[in-house]
Amino acid sequence: MSASEDQADVEKVLAGDVSAVEGIVRRWQGPLINLAYRFCRDRGRAEEMAQEAFLRAYRALKGWRKDAAFSTWLFALATNLYCSELRRIPAATVSLDDVSEPRDPRAPDGGLEERDRDYAVRQAVLLLPAKYREALTLFYFHGMDVQAAARSLGLSEGTVKARLFRGREILRTKLERLSLAPRFERACNKEAL
Amino acid sequence: MRNQELDRILSRIGSEKEEIIPSSGFTASVMDSVRREATTPPPIPFPWKRALPGLAAGCVALVLILTEMVTHLHQHTMAPEIPALTVSAFDPILKAALNAGIGWIFLALLLSLASVMLSLRLTSAKT
Repeated sequence: MSASEDQADVEKVLAGDVSAVEGIVRRWQGPLINLAYRFCRDRGRAEEMAQEAFLRAYRALKGWRKDAAFSTWLFALATNLYCSELRRIPAATVSLDDVSEPRDPRAPDGGLEERDRDYAVRQAVLLLPAKYREALTLFYFHGMDVQAAARSLGLSEGTVKARLFRGREILRTKLERLSLAPRFERACNKEAL
Repeated sequence: MRNQELDRILSRIGSEKEEIIPSSGFTASVMDSVRREATTPPPIPFPWKRALPGLAAGCVALVLILTEMVTHLHQHTMAPEIPALTVSAFDPILKAALNAGIGWIFLALLLSLASVMLSLRLTSAKT
């Protein structure tokens, strides 16, 4: 994705050519929808949120100061929108007790396979308080480094690091409280070997 | 479970790239809303220039009434200590206002102002 293409399209839009927005949408629809999906784990909602993000970006295009890359600005705007949307209407989650139910209790490992454990961890992340969930989602699930996550969230790097640490602490406590904690632990140990 | 283990699990989950492909009509749908937005006339701004003289006059009147009210109350409570004040031009207005229940009117105005401020805040938070 070329920064110069973005800049050219933005200039066209600011000059009154609305159709130039299409280029921006085509280039960034995938990343923005995927970012939204990592926040809400719902495809339909992810597209709705991404559409709203593009609309807001169009409205706020004049506000893009070219000192930062267009992508940085767009991601910060989208992250901000997704976070407030999910604070307003939280993502649909199931309780961790339901997640921990083994699929097949006769299975040697109690049915808690790697997939189940990953699902439990994902659900546990969704159940975290918003500020920790946002940091963990950007850092782990969207592959942003601390610096990029801090820019997207409009926070300092130190705050993001602290939220990642605290988020992991809460997550660990939650997961340890699972009724299947020993099996969960075993699954983790198996992976470590 | 140690933090390192959790970090490793989270990193592994994150590395399993679960890519969502945008639905075929997504771009068209975004462009529709962008075009709709572009053709919508901008909201009419509040006519501050026209409203300003009225607002200023209202504020001055309010300050005057309040001053008179304070003076009036002071006169009633501290009458023996302070010398009689000259009868101002506002005395008849103040008396009429007090008869009409200025306190209630003032309270109603405050409540209206609070509700306007609250609704403005709520709408600005949504947009």
